[in-house]
Amino acid sequence: MSASPITKRVQDDVPRYNDEVAVGEDLEFQRRWWKFENAVWILFGIIIVCDVLGVFGRGWLARAKATTRDHAVVLSYERMERAFTPAILDLEIGQNAIRNGQVTVYVSGSVVKELGAARISPQPMTSTIGSSGYTYVFPVTSSPGTIQIALSPPSAGLRHFRVQVAGSEPIDASVLVFP
Amino acid sequence: MVSVLYAVAGYFFLLLTVRVLKRRAGSGISMLDFVLIFLIGGVIILGTMAQDRSMTNATCIVITIGFLHRTVAWAKSKSPKVGALVDGVPLVLLDRGKARREVMDHMRITDLDLEIAARAARVPSTDQVDYAVLERNGSISIFPRQ
Repeated sequence: MSASPITKRVQDDVPRYNDEVAVGEDLEFQRRWWKFENAVWILFGIIIVCDVLGVFGRGWLARAKATTRDHAVVLSYERMERAFTPAILDLEIGQNAIRNGQVTVYVSGSVVKELGAARISPQPMTSTIGSSGYTYVFPVTSSPGTIQIALSPPSAGLRHFRVQVAGSEPIDASVLVFP
Repeated sequence: MVSVLYAVAGYFFLLLTVRVLKRRAGSGISMLDFVLIFLIGGVIILGTMAQDRSMTNATCIVITIGFLHRTVAWAKSKSPKVGALVDGVPLVLLDRGKARREVMDHMRITDLDLEIAARAARVPSTDQVDYAVLERNGSISIFPRQ
């Protein structure tokens, strides 16, 4: 024998408007929502302006330069980068960095592991793996010359790196990688 | 693992963006809406998938989004507050034949939208409408004058 079905009288469960129409309007909530909406659109506007200026990378504010006191090397990079997005790290080599027609460049391991160095141009004569980084030797005929390291950071976070040309002081820099 | 986090972030960011876009009177999908759907959908999928275009990653992301959607639907059914946050609340546009300008202006509803809704409800003119209600899905319900 089947059990008798449970029945319940259907009734409005939302407040009536003017005691006539069951709408369930909540105008106070809606007024608060409109204020929230305005705040969100202002925030979206700020995000767009920041993006255009390069706060999130690939723009005017993201570009950075660092140089040694003896101008042996000028490092150009982006303070802010984006994960999986190509970026270039430029090393402009001055006359002071050239010894016996060669320039020796040391980069910390973080340039390869954390900033995802994918390619170095021009190709170095020799590459040496050290305990904390890599040393490259390039033949140089005249200065200034430029060495480019193509980056593609594999993950987000604040990354620190060091670049040094033999016979000159090191340059320490940081890059904030956005997801 | 990262893709799942990206999918969660993408889902809630998309929910917020779609929610703060005004409800469009009429609720149907126009050509303009198609531009929005395809462009936003296409952009968000690139960021969510990241570099991993494998079937495993796609499957995990689809499952994550499905799970999130089911959770939000369940929360909506349990709490009217969550429902109001996700879908909004119905709003009275015409009160005993008089337009509520504060609501209409904020919701970008014009007199023409009301006239179209009245005609769709087989009411010849808005003069003969007692109440008009903007529903959560963007449609306008018309209550003719008795």
